[in-house]
Amino acid sequence: MISFFVRRLLLAILTMWVVSVLSYVIIQLPPGDFVDTYISQQSASGSTVSAAEAQSLRELYGLDQPVWIQYGKWITRILTGDFGESMEWRQPVKDVIGDRLWFTVLISVAALLVTWGLALPIGIYSAVRQYSFGDYAFTLIGFVGLAVPNFLLALIIMYLSFRYLGANAGGLFSAEFELAPWSWAKLWDLIKHLPLPSVILALGGTAQLIRIMRANLLDELRRPYVVTARAKGLPERWVVLKYPVRAALNPFASTVAYLFPYLVSGSVIISIVLSLPTVGPLLVRSLISQDMFLAGTIVLLLGVLTVIGTFISDLVLMWVDPRIRHQMD
Amino acid sequence: MTTSRRQFLTHSTAVLASTVAAAEALAQGAGGLTASGLVGRLEGSEVVTDPARMPRTFKEAPELAQLVQQGRLPPVAQRLPEEPLVLKPLNEVGRYGGTWRRGFVGPGDGENGNRINASDKLIFWDYTGARIIPSIAKSVVMSDDGKVTRVTLRKGMKWSDGAPFTADDFEFWFEDIYSNRNIVPTGIADLSPGGRPGRIVKIDEVTVEFQFENPYFLLMDMLAGDTLIGGGMSVGMYQQRSFGCYAPKHYLKQFLPKYSSEEQVNARARAEGFEGWLRMLHNKKDWNLNPELPVLGPWRTVRPINTPTWVLERNPFYYTVDTDGNQLPYINQIVMTLAEDLEVLNLRAMAGQYDMQERHIDLAKLPVILENRDRGNYDLHLDLAYNGSDTTIHFNMSYTADAEIAKWINNVDFRRALSLGIDRNQMNETFWLGLGTPGSTCPAESMPQNPGPEWRAKWSTLDVAQANRMLDAIGLTRKDSEGFRLRTDNGQRLRFQVQTVRAFLPWPQQLEMVAQHWRRIGIFAEVREMERVLAFTRTNNNEHHMHVWTNGGTELLYLFPRHAIPVDPVEAFMGPEFAKWYASNGSLGREPTDAGLKRIFELFRSAAGQRDEQRNNTAKEIWKILVDNVYSIGTVGQSPALMGVRLASRRMGNIPSRACIAQHCRTPGSSRPETFYYKS
Repeated sequence: MISFFVRRLLLAILTMWVVSVLSYVIIQLPPGDFVDTYISQQSASGSTVSAAEAQSLRELYGLDQPVWIQYGKWITRILTGDFGESMEWRQPVKDVIGDRLWFTVLISVAALLVTWGLALPIGIYSAVRQYSFGDYAFTLIGFVGLAVPNFLLALIIMYLSFRYLGANAGGLFSAEFELAPWSWAKLWDLIKHLPLPSVILALGGTAQLIRIMRANLLDELRRPYVVTARAKGLPERWVVLKYPVRAALNPFASTVAYLFPYLVSGSVIISIVLSLPTVGPLLVRSLISQDMFLAGTIVLLLGVLTVIGTFISDLVLMWVDPRIRHQMD
Repeated sequence: MTTSRRQFLTHSTAVLASTVAAAEALAQGAGGLTASGLVGRLEGSEVVTDPARMPRTFKEAPELAQLVQQGRLPPVAQRLPEEPLVLKPLNEVGRYGGTWRRGFVGPGDGENGNRINASDKLIFWDYTGARIIPSIAKSVVMSDDGKVTRVTLRKGMKWSDGAPFTADDFEFWFEDIYSNRNIVPTGIADLSPGGRPGRIVKIDEVTVEFQFENPYFLLMDMLAGDTLIGGGMSVGMYQQRSFGCYAPKHYLKQFLPKYSSEEQVNARARAEGFEGWLRMLHNKKDWNLNPELPVLGPWRTVRPINTPTWVLERNPFYYTVDTDGNQLPYINQIVMTLAEDLEVLNLRAMAGQYDMQERHIDLAKLPVILENRDRGNYDLHLDLAYNGSDTTIHFNMSYTADAEIAKWINNVDFRRALSLGIDRNQMNETFWLGLGTPGSTCPAESMPQNPGPEWRAKWSTLDVAQANRMLDAIGLTRKDSEGFRLRTDNGQRLRFQVQTVRAFLPWPQQLEMVAQHWRRIGIFAEVREMERVLAFTRTNNNEHHMHVWTNGGTELLYLFPRHAIPVDPVEAFMGPEFAKWYASNGSLGREPTDAGLKRIFELFRSAAGQRDEQRNNTAKEIWKILVDNVYSIGTVGQSPALMGVRLASRRMGNIPSRACIAQHCRTPGSSRPETFYYKS
C-alpha cells in the first residue's frame, strides 16, 4: 500500500512539472506578447503607445528575454509561493484569483449538489420504472438538457428574467450590496442570486449522469443476486438501494477526478455570459491578453487539481467498491 | 488681429477665431436624422468669463460641509483657488448628491473613468469640439514667433489631498519623470517640434513656460487635445504611461530613487510586493489603481479598477464652481460595475441599471434599446461623430511580398475602381440602421479641416460600370469562368486578402458584404477574420494587402493622424515601411515613391510650425490628396456607432441632447460630467 502511495506521489509531482512546462510553452505559442496585446488595446481606445515605450515595457516585464529564462524565473518564484504579478490587473496574482476562487467553488459546489440531487433519484426511478411514462419524460428532458448548449440556455433565461421579472441580469450581487460589507442581508442577496447560475450549470451534467445511472442500474438489476434477494422476500426498496445502487455508483466516484478542475474552470462560458465573478472569465481574459503569470498560474492550478483529483478518485473508488480494495490485497 | 489671436486664452477668453463659424455649423450637422428626435442640438455648459457674473461666495455639498464642521476639512473658500473656473450649467444649477451607476469591462478599461475626469487638462475643448477653453490653466499665451508658450496657473489651487498645486509639479514631471530615461526611454514627438526637443521651465509659483527652438503653433491644439502632452494626468499617467505635463511632486517623489536612494526605493517596492521601484511607480502614479494618488479632476478613486467595482468619489478640492458658487461636481459618487461580457453590459443598461452610459453600447441593439426606454426609465440620445468613415479599408501602399498584388495596390485607378464598386447605402442600412453618412474618408463638412462638400462623394459612390471600365483600361481584362479577373503574371485568379478584426463594429461581416459587391467588378477578396494581436503583428511586418479599421480621430488631423496618414509605426495600416521611414527621419524603413504620399509627408511635416488658418489649409490640401488617391476607402461614417448611443436616466439633469463624440472631446468629458445631477 505504502509503495503504491509513494509511486503515485512521485508520478504526480513529475506530471505537475510537465504540466507547468507545457502550460508555459502553450501560452507563449500565439504570436506577439502582452505588450502587443496592450498596444492593440490602447489603440482600440484611441491611445498611443510609441515603439520606444513598447520596448521599455518589454524590459519592465522581462519579455525581452528568452522563453526558458522567463520560465526559470517564473517557476522558481512559484516554488517560493510567489505567483508573480498579473500584468493586466497590475496586482499580485494571488490577490486577483483570491475572492474569485471562493465564488467559483461556491457556485460549482452548488451546481454539483443540484446535479447529484436531481440525477441520483431520477436515474434510479428511470431504471426501476423502465419504459414507464415517467422514464420517457425524463429521458426526453435529459436529452434536451444534453443537446442544448448551456450558454444558450443562460442567455435565454437571463433575457426572460430581465424581461418579465425585472431581475438583476447577471452577477452574484445586486448593485446595492456589491459595495456593502458582509451582512445577513448581503448573504441573503447572494443566496437569491445563486440558483440561476447553479441550475444552468447543473443541467448538462445532470442529463449525462441520469443516463449513466440508469444504464448501470439496469445492468445490475438483472443480476442473479437481485433475483435471489427478491426471492428471499427482501422489501423492494431495500433490494434496490442496498446493493445494485451502490454498485452503480462507481461512475460517480470516478467523476471526482474531473470534479476538482471543474470546480475552478467548469463554468467559463456560463460565467462570462452571466457575468459571474469567477475564475473562468479570468482565465479566458488572461489568455487573450497574454498575461503570462496569471494564465500560467490558473492553468497550473487546473493541472495540479486534476492530478490531485485523480489521486483522490482512486482512493474513493477503493473505499466504495470492496471489489477493487480486495483485488489489491 | 494677430495680437488678439495670440492672446486668445488670456483670462478665460478662449475662442479660436478660425473655428467659431464651424462651431455654429456643428450644431446643425445632423441632417434628416434630426426628425427622429434622437439626434438633438449640440449643447453643453459654458465657461463664464464675464467678471460681473462670477460668484463671490461659495457653497459646497452637505457631506463636505459636515466634514468642515468637524474640522476635518478646510472651508470651501480655502479649498478653491482664488479664481476658480466658473461653469454655467447647461440647463440649471443642480442639486448635490447621488450615485452615478455605470458599467466597465475590466482593468484595461481605464479610459472609462479617465474621460469622465478629463477636466484635469491645462486647456480643453468645449462642448462644440471646436473652441478651446481654459481648464486648470487660467491662461495660455503664445509668443509671436510660436517658440515660447506661457501657462498661468490658478493661484491657490490644490490637489485632492489639499496640497498646493504649483509650477513645481510641472518642473517635477519634466525633470524627474519625463527626463528620467528609466521611466520614459525616449522623448516624445509632442515635445519635439521639428525634431528638436523642447523644455518645460518654472518661472514662478504659478507660471510655467514651454520653450522650443522651432515655432510650435500647433502646441495650443496639442495641449487641448487627447495627446501625450495634453491628455491631462488621468490619461497621461495611467497604466504604463508617464505623460501629461505635471505630476504631484509632494506625493510621487517618495517613489523615485533621486529623492532617497535606489536601494531604499527598491526595498520599499519589494516590501509592497513589486519587483522593483519602476513597477511600483507605474502602480502608484495611476489614479485608476491607487486611491492615495492626489488628483485634480472632479472625482478620485476610492476603490481601484482591478476590483469588481471601480468606485470614484468627489474631489473636495475640485477647482470648478457653477454660476451660483456651488463647488462642483454635483454627484457624490460614481460606481462602475464590472461586466465580463458586452451583452451583459448592454442588457443591464436597458434594464435601467446604469444612469448614464455611452461607452460599450452596441448600435445594433438600437431597436431593443428604444423599446425599453420607459421600463428602464432612460432617454436615448444619438451623438454623431465627425470622422468620415467608421469602416475604412486601408491599402498597404508599402506591400512588396507579391509583386503582382503590389503593382495593383499601387495603381491609383485600381484603388478608385474598388472604391466605386462598393454599395455604401446597403452597408449603411444593414449595419448602421441608416444612421451613418456614406462617403469618403474626409472629416465632416462642419469641421475646420474639411476640404469641401464635393469631396464626400469623390470616388465614393456606387458606379459598377465605371469601375469595370477602369479595371479593363488598366489591363485587368482576362476573367475566369466565375467572372473574376486574372493575374497578369501567371493567369491565376487575382486574390486580395482583407484583414479584419472583430473590434468596434462587426467588420468581418461588413467586409463579406463588400466582397459580394466586388464580385460584380470581378475582384476576388478573401476576407480574413483575425485575432487582433495577430492582425497587428502582420501589419507591423508589412504582410497585409488591406486592413480594415476605423478612421476615428482624423477629424482633427494633426492631433491624431495615424488613421489617415502612415506616420506612426504603432498603427500604420497604410504602409508600415513608410511610417518607419517617416518616424525615424529616414534611418529606417523605405521612402515612398508615390508622388501623392511624398507630397502628403512634406505637407504634414511643415504643419506644426504654421499658424491656425494656414495649418487648416494644409490639412485640407492633405485631405484632397488622400481622397483623390484613395489610399484608404471610406464607407460609412459620421455615425453614432462608437460611443454615440447614449442612455441617460430621466432622473438626471443637465444632460445635453447631443454631445460631441470625437477623440479630442474625450467623450463624455467635454459634456462636463461634473454638472450632471439627480433631479430627485
